[in-house]
Amino acid sequence: MALVRKIIGQSTVDGLGNRTAIFLQGCNIRCAYCHNPETQAMHDAEATEMSVTQVLDEVRKGIPFIRGITVSGGECMLQAEWLAELFAAVQNLSDECGHSLSCLIDSNGTIPFARYPQLMAHCNGVMLDVKAWDTAVYNRLTQASSNQTVKENLVWLLEHDLLTEVRIVCLPDRVDVETILRNIADIFASIGKKSPVRLLRFRPHGVVGELAEHPMPTEKEMSDYAAFAQSLNLEVTVK
Amino acid sequence: MADIYSIVISRKLSYEQKVVALAHAAEDTLNVLPMPERTRFYFDKGVICNLNEGNAPYRPRYIMPDYEKAVKNGVKFLELDPPQDFDELLTFLQVLYRHVPSITTYPVFLGDLDKLIEPFIGELSDEEVKRKLRNFLLYLDRTITDSFCHANLGPQASRAGRLILEVDRELEQAVPNLTLKYDPAVTPDDFAEQAIYTSLCVANPAICNDVLNAKTYDRYGISSCYNILPIAGGSYTLTRLVLPRLAALTESKEEFLTKLLPEAMHCMAEYMSARIRFIVEESGFFESHFLATEGFVERDRFVAMFGLVGLAEAANHFAPEGKKYGSDAEADDIAEQIMEVITAYVNEYECPYCEIANHRLLLHAQVGIDTDYGVTSGIRIPVGDEPESIYDHLRHSARFHRFIPTGCSDILPFDITGKQNPAAVLDIIKGAFSLGQKYIAFYASDSDLVRITGYLVKRSEIEKWNNGQAVLQNTTQLGAPTYASAHLANRKVRGV
Repeated sequence: MALVRKIIGQSTVDGLGNRTAIFLQGCNIRCAYCHNPETQAMHDAEATEMSVTQVLDEVRKGIPFIRGITVSGGECMLQAEWLAELFAAVQNLSDECGHSLSCLIDSNGTIPFARYPQLMAHCNGVMLDVKAWDTAVYNRLTQASSNQTVKENLVWLLEHDLLTEVRIVCLPDRVDVETILRNIADIFASIGKKSPVRLLRFRPHGVVGELAEHPMPTEKEMSDYAAFAQSLNLEVTVK
Repeated sequence: MADIYSIVISRKLSYEQKVVALAHAAEDTLNVLPMPERTRFYFDKGVICNLNEGNAPYRPRYIMPDYEKAVKNGVKFLELDPPQDFDELLTFLQVLYRHVPSITTYPVFLGDLDKLIEPFIGELSDEEVKRKLRNFLLYLDRTITDSFCHANLGPQASRAGRLILEVDRELEQAVPNLTLKYDPAVTPDDFAEQAIYTSLCVANPAICNDVLNAKTYDRYGISSCYNILPIAGGSYTLTRLVLPRLAALTESKEEFLTKLLPEAMHCMAEYMSARIRFIVEESGFFESHFLATEGFVERDRFVAMFGLVGLAEAANHFAPEGKKYGSDAEADDIAEQIMEVITAYVNEYECPYCEIANHRLLLHAQVGIDTDYGVTSGIRIPVGDEPESIYDHLRHSARFHRFIPTGCSDILPFDITGKQNPAAVLDIIKGAFSLGQKYIAFYASDSDLVRITGYLVKRSEIEKWNNGQAVLQNTTQLGAPTYASAHLANRKVRGV
C-alpha cells in the first residue's frame, strides 16, 4: 500500500504529453519554496492508503488518452518498493490493452536509484530536481544535510539513459542557478550524453513560510538564465 | 414585401449582404416544390427545416470542385490557362473561387490548400511564400465574407502546410476555416502539434479523423461546418430534422419511435428528393455551369445530407426525470434507440441521383442555426451537461459519431496552458480518434476567435454587431445570437 495524496487523470505539466499524475504523500527534504506543502508530512488525514490495483483502476480510466503515468510527491522514492510494483503492473496493463504506457518518476534525487534495479527496469525516465549545487545553498533551501546523492543520481541516470529532464526552480537570491547549469553542462560533456533542462520560474502560489510573499523572478532574469544555459549548449525550456 | 423593404433600408446589412438577402427573398416568391399536407404540418411545427435553402434551388447547396484538375487543365469558361508559377496559381485560385456557387453564394470549399500550393513553391524562400500567402489569405478573408468557407490540410506534412499554419497564426482571421486531416500513421507528430498550437492561438485548424472519414468516399473534403463530402461533387441539399420539436408532440417514446419519427423522416426524405430532382432536372445547373460542363464536378458525385439536430433534448424528453444525455446511461440508451430507428430508415429509403451514396440519403449532425433555442447541435452534449471528465465526453462522442457519415464534431475550449503542451492535446485527440470520434475543433479559453457551432467568429465582432454596427462577416450575424442563446460562453473549459 502507498499513501496517495491525489491523482490527476489529465496532466500536461508532469512530463511529455498527456499523463495521469499520481502524487504520493510525504517528503524528506521540505524545500522552502515547495508549492504543495500539504504533501510534505509523512502522514496526513487527507491522504489515502491505496493498493497498486486501486491506482491501476484510476490509470485505466485514462486509456487511450494518456501517454503514460508520472509519479510525483511529496517524494515518491520514499515508497520505492511500492513504486516498483506499480510500474510492473502498468507495463502489464500496457500489454493487456495494446496501448503503450510509459512510467516516469518526478524526484528530488535524495534516494539512490541504483539501489532499486527492479523499479528502474520498468521506469522510462526520471525528471530530476536539482535544487542547488553548492551544499551550503542546498542546506539553506531544504532540510537535507547533503546533496551528494542528487549529484550521484544525476550521473547514474544519465549513464543509464534514464534522465528525462533536469528541473531547476529559479529563485535568484536563493538558488545558485548558474552554478548548477555550469556543473550540469560539465557532467553532460564528460559523459557524452545529455538531457533537456527545464527552468521553472518560482511562483509564490501555494508556498507557505518565509518565501510565501517572495516575488517571482523577472522575465529578464529568466531569459538571462536561458541565454546562459544556451551558451553552455544546454537544451533549455523556460516555464 | 415589408421584409424586402426592411432589407433595402437596413443599416446593419452591408451592400453585399443586402444583395444576397434580396436574391433569397426573390427565390422564395416561387413555389415549385410539392408540399403534401403532413409535410406542411411538420414544416409548420419546425420539425423539418430546410435551413433557408430557398424555394427554388438553382445550385447544389455545397459544391466541392476538383481544384487539382482545374489547376492542371485550366478553366476554359474563365479563360484561365494552367498556372505556371506561384503568383499565377494564387491569381488563378482567387478568380476561380469567385465563381464557385453555394447556398451562401460564397465557395464553401477551397480545396486541399497545401497540396495545391506545394508544387509551386519549390524555388521560393519561406519569407517570399509567406508574404504572398498573407496577401492571398487576406484577400480571401475580406472578399469571402462568410466563414462557412473551408480549406483542408494534410494528412501528409508539407512545407506548404507548415507555412500556411504559420501565416494563419499571424493573421488571426475567421476565413478560411482550416481542417487538418489527421492520420497517426501518416501525419508526423510535430506537424500535428504545430496545427494544435496554431489552433490554441487562433481557433484554427480543426482536426479531422482521416482514418475513419476517408472510408466514406473515394476522395473526400471538409466544407462549411464540417461536412464530409466527395471531392468533384458535393451535396444537393441539407435539410434537417429538429428532434426535440418532434419529441414535443408526444409523451410516449413508443409513439415517437414507431409512428412520429418514421412519418416525419419520410416526409423529409420525399421533400429532399423533390429538391434533388428540381436541381438536376429543372434548374439547368449541371447542363450549363462551367464547373459541371468542364468536369470539375460530376453530377453522380453529389449526395444529399439528412440533417439531425437536438438528439440530446429528444433523448432527455423521454428519459426518466433528471436523467441526462451525456452523463446517464438511461438517456444515452434512448438516444441510441432513436439513432437506430433513423439509421434503419435512411438505409432503406431510395433517393434519386445519389449514385456515390448508393442512392441513399446520408446522415449529418447539423450544428444548429441562430434561431435554435433549447436545441443542441447535432448529437453533441448540451453546454452545461458535459461530463466532468473530458475522457468520458469523448467516449460518449465516439459512441454516437459512428452513426454519422457526412459530418459530426465536438468543439472544446481548452485552458490556455494547453499552448505549452500541444503534445498533450495530441494525445487526447489520438485517443479519441482511436475510439471512433470523428472530428474535433477547439480553441483557447482566452481566444478572440471562437467556434460558434462550427464556423469561426471574433468575439470583438459580436460585440460590434450587438451594438448595432454593420460588420464585414455574414457569420457574425448568425454567431452573435447563437453565442448567447446556446450559452457558448459557458462551454466546459478543458484543462490541459
